[in-house]
Amino acid sequence: MVSIKLDNVGLVYKLHEKLTLSAPDRRVGRPGGRIEGSGRKQFVQALDGVSFELKAGDRLGLVGPNGAGKTTLLKVLYGIYEPSAGNVAIEGKVDALFNINIGFRREATGRRNIVLRGLISGWTEAEIEEKMEDIIAFSELGDFIDLPFKAYSQGMAARLAFSAATALDPEILLMDEWIGAGDASFQEKAKRRMDELAERAGIIVLASHSEGLIQSVCTKRLTLRSGRVESLTMEPAKRAGTVARP
Amino acid sequence: MIAVFNGAVDDISKAMRLHRVWIALAHEDIGDQHRRTTLGPLWLLVNYVAFVGTFVFVFQPAGKDAAGYAAYVAIGLLVWFYLMEVMSLSVSLFQREESFIEGTTLPLFVYVMRLALQSSIRAGYAIAGCVAILLLSGPSIASPWLWSVAGLLLILLVTPAMITVFAFLGAFFPDSQFIVGNLLRVGMFFTPVFWVYNGQEGVQKYAYHWNPFTYFLEIVRLPIMKGEFPAHAFTVTIVMSLATWMIALLLLGRYRRQIIFII
Repeated sequence: MVSIKLDNVGLVYKLHEKLTLSAPDRRVGRPGGRIEGSGRKQFVQALDGVSFELKAGDRLGLVGPNGAGKTTLLKVLYGIYEPSAGNVAIEGKVDALFNINIGFRREATGRRNIVLRGLISGWTEAEIEEKMEDIIAFSELGDFIDLPFKAYSQGMAARLAFSAATALDPEILLMDEWIGAGDASFQEKAKRRMDELAERAGIIVLASHSEGLIQSVCTKRLTLRSGRVESLTMEPAKRAGTVARP
Repeated sequence: MIAVFNGAVDDISKAMRLHRVWIALAHEDIGDQHRRTTLGPLWLLVNYVAFVGTFVFVFQPAGKDAAGYAAYVAIGLLVWFYLMEVMSLSVSLFQREESFIEGTTLPLFVYVMRLALQSSIRAGYAIAGCVAILLLSGPSIASPWLWSVAGLLLILLVTPAMITVFAFLGAFFPDSQFIVGNLLRVGMFFTPVFWVYNGQEGVQKYAYHWNPFTYFLEIVRLPIMKGEFPAHAFTVTIVMSLATWMIALLLLGRYRRQIIFII
């Protein structure tokens, strides 16, 4: 049974003061999160006491201001970040779309890039071969598929990335803001595929600042602020019952 | 400590299962570097032969030492260029792979093996040039040459460990990219790559005996040049290789999950 359960998940990381010859104010590692402590012992509290549960068919929209922890939470769900507190229990095959260009090489053709993206996602060569024509057809790239990736527009790259990421029927799909960048017809097509995925008892988690995208895709909304859950509500258009809005 | 080593072994074994990923990426890397050129990767061979030719032309000693000098330089440059490339590219490895590290769950050792394979492929072109120079410059093929092959294999085996150590060094200490680059450029003159040590006193004596790179060069060069098994050089190299692997496993096991917060 596909499910996601987070129980009091926290992510704290130390701000490593890099050994460098540059001025002290340039030694800080990465922006974002809540910085705690001082001097040499500074920590970033990126997530704090995050708990929620998703079951098959749920489509969760992550919202909140910049630095609230949306992308961090997605990366914890994908396994890129190891939480420093709490438990993450995930049942189901996860795929993620954080960055359109990951696994795509500018000089390689779209077809070759599908192979590379598949290998990076852990697909076998047989699975890649089997899904190749479906991916090309869904992406609507036509003859462009045999041209170098650098010849693609941003929208074409997005179509190829989305087609590849959803081709192997992930049970859980994690997506960051970028999907809102495609044109209207692509967004509609992507939404239909996400609907299909959710209807097949999958889970979608989408982080976005686009109110329209969240409302059209998601059934639940998790509002994050400074790494903490501010509220978890049902989307009005999809809700079965009334839950307090943030 | 055991948990640290288990973590490192787990990362390495996952990367080995994903061998198709780093093999494909390494081949793409080589292809991209030479795309749209007429000679393609053969430029690697041309560069190597041009370097050897220049060194032989400028530094070839007069008299009886002249005979084997081309072979001496050919092997010296083969090993030195390989080590230099591996180390100088390693210190910026995690920074170059930042988008992959932040966007995928690939084990870190995948990036290590991607660079190791890429460097080995490039060295393969230089090896072809080196063999051609050896055949043309005099020394006849003999069974001790197999020790040179063993020496090359030993260098290949320690390469992933070297890459790991230098990659962590570059992540924690970004200035090391420039320090290592400068040291390697200077290091060529303190390593018996193109100068011959014949027991003379002075700087060359210390540069020969106390320079770890000397032993990496000698395990490949002495079996061909002297027709003997260089037991001392092999022993030193094996000890250094084991120490490098120990450090690499410690770093990988201890810090592999922290790298994403550091780069």
